[in-house]
Amino acid sequence: MGKINLTALRVRQTALNQFASGKTSKLPQWVGVVGEIPPAETLIRTRPPQHELVQQRLKTVAGSSKPQVVFQVQEKRRKPKKPSRLFQPVELKYEEDQLRTQFFCDHPWELARPRVLLESTGKDFEHYDWSRIQQPGKRLDGESVVQRQLWLLNNVPDMTKSTAYDIARREFYRLRLQEDIQRRVASEEAAAYGAEFGPSYMDIGMKMENEQYDKWVAWARETSLVQDQRKSALSGAPDLGDTTESSEIEAEEGEAVSL
Amino acid sequence: MIIRKLCMRQSRQLLALSRRAPISSRFQSTLPETPVETLQTPIRDEISRSENPLFEMVQAQSEASTPAQQEFTSDEPPRSRFKKLGTSVKSSYDPEDVIRNPPKPSQISLEMLLAAGTHLGHSTSRWNPQNSRYIFGIREGVHIISLDVTAAHLRRAAKVVEEVAARGGLILFAGTRKGQKRAVVKAASLAKGYHIFERWIPGSLTNGEQILGHCETKVVNALDEELPNFKSDLADRPSLKPDLVICLNPLENVVLLHECGLNNVPTIGVIDTDADPTRVTYPIPSNDDSLRATCLIAGILGRAGEAGQLRRLKMAQEGRTSYTPITAQELRLDPFTGLAPGGEGQKK
Repeated sequence: MGKINLTALRVRQTALNQFASGKTSKLPQWVGVVGEIPPAETLIRTRPPQHELVQQRLKTVAGSSKPQVVFQVQEKRRKPKKPSRLFQPVELKYEEDQLRTQFFCDHPWELARPRVLLESTGKDFEHYDWSRIQQPGKRLDGESVVQRQLWLLNNVPDMTKSTAYDIARREFYRLRLQEDIQRRVASEEAAAYGAEFGPSYMDIGMKMENEQYDKWVAWARETSLVQDQRKSALSGAPDLGDTTESSEIEAEEGEAVSL
Repeated sequence: MIIRKLCMRQSRQLLALSRRAPISSRFQSTLPETPVETLQTPIRDEISRSENPLFEMVQAQSEASTPAQQEFTSDEPPRSRFKKLGTSVKSSYDPEDVIRNPPKPSQISLEMLLAAGTHLGHSTSRWNPQNSRYIFGIREGVHIISLDVTAAHLRRAAKVVEEVAARGGLILFAGTRKGQKRAVVKAASLAKGYHIFERWIPGSLTNGEQILGHCETKVVNALDEELPNFKSDLADRPSLKPDLVICLNPLENVVLLHECGLNNVPTIGVIDTDADPTRVTYPIPSNDDSLRATCLIAGILGRAGEAGQLRRLKMAQEGRTSYTPITAQELRLDPFTGLAPGGEGQKK
């Protein structure tokens, strides 16, 4: 009916009224509880939190030796907000967003790597120190680069975005190379100690391809036989032309097998 | 005994191997005796190449190609030497933990709620503007619920559950979505309440005599001991109504909440950004689609109920109650006309 139903919020009032009017002979046990702990106000609109994009930078000042911390706030929009949108929630913006977009634009295959999204306590960030790119308990990924770049922007005097990006990226590439080498050495080491890794994907693929070739050979042999029989039945006696055809197919078979 | 037999059964294949079978001695609890050895050798001689079709295949597999592999297959000591190396993972996330051992209301922290994903709302287009108080902002087209508001409302709801349990109220936990069953049952067992994990039958409150009339009711004293003397007095009583209903998915249980409104029963509900917060008395703004979030909320409320029940029983042992107990005379009275003698007994 377009009106707000306040029955649930007014349970205590209703219970008291029913008791006063004699509808119920006894007050329910929870009336005191709801009186002591009243329901929160739900329907009063408040101005939602206004989020601003704040950037922290270190800048060297001409006079002093110590760099100065500068906070830059995103410019306010020139056109004021529509009154109807006054109570609507505001978009959350962080400085990392642009950095993240840039990194994953340049390295799209980083998104294909598996990543752990689960947190057991929600306090993982307490163990991280972005003055270096490697963190305990966190795998090196695109997010490491973004966080490292942000730390450089916030804590190194006169740092520009592109320089920070280059520094963070270089560290990242170096560690990725190191990982590759570690993996290779580990496999070699394991092989030296007698590990067997089984056939590689390439071997398995080749085997499957060969199986298909063999199938084709069997099929070709059968169809050529059928064709021979059909022709001989039509002509009444085997002809010279037929034998040449079947020999051609056999030659093809030989090629396929050798391939 | 059984293990020995298994060895015997497997041995037909093992004997075909050219190398010594390492498994036969490993499965046995005692050292292999000499008669076993003498038994094995003649059988090995009997099996010839022609009898075993897989002989060549087995032979090829058992042949180690490199000297390192030969050493690996022949020698045991090197492997045992490496077993001491490496790390052992100690504490990792266990999804069962929130069901088996739910946290107490005093342990609620924003990090815990964040890790459970209670802050994730619905797509902005699906929002209910009545929830604008609880919404922190928009991220990637999704409303983000304010974690501190969630924590405050959750603490308030936990307090209500505890107080109602301390006054001997009947608490009903309802979570009818897939996967909420175990959390709901656990919470109800902690709070000594009741649970629904399947569909709420419409009319269970408004038409209780028809739907729940056959259900068993009992009279208990303040220490929760059953008083069987009053069984006959309960025959013509209307079905019991809960004093508090906790609903984990109000969107699907509109009928339940409507009946609670009609019967004047306070309710607690998990309100996502697309749900109507006025349907419940005490809303808990949170993500209701994440099982981890709803299990956490149910567990916390269950723990609160547990604390209330403990308090009530402790008071009862001291001979006090935080509620006005029903007297035996009231219980014996006909619901419509007065009658019956007295006796000692209390109903919670």
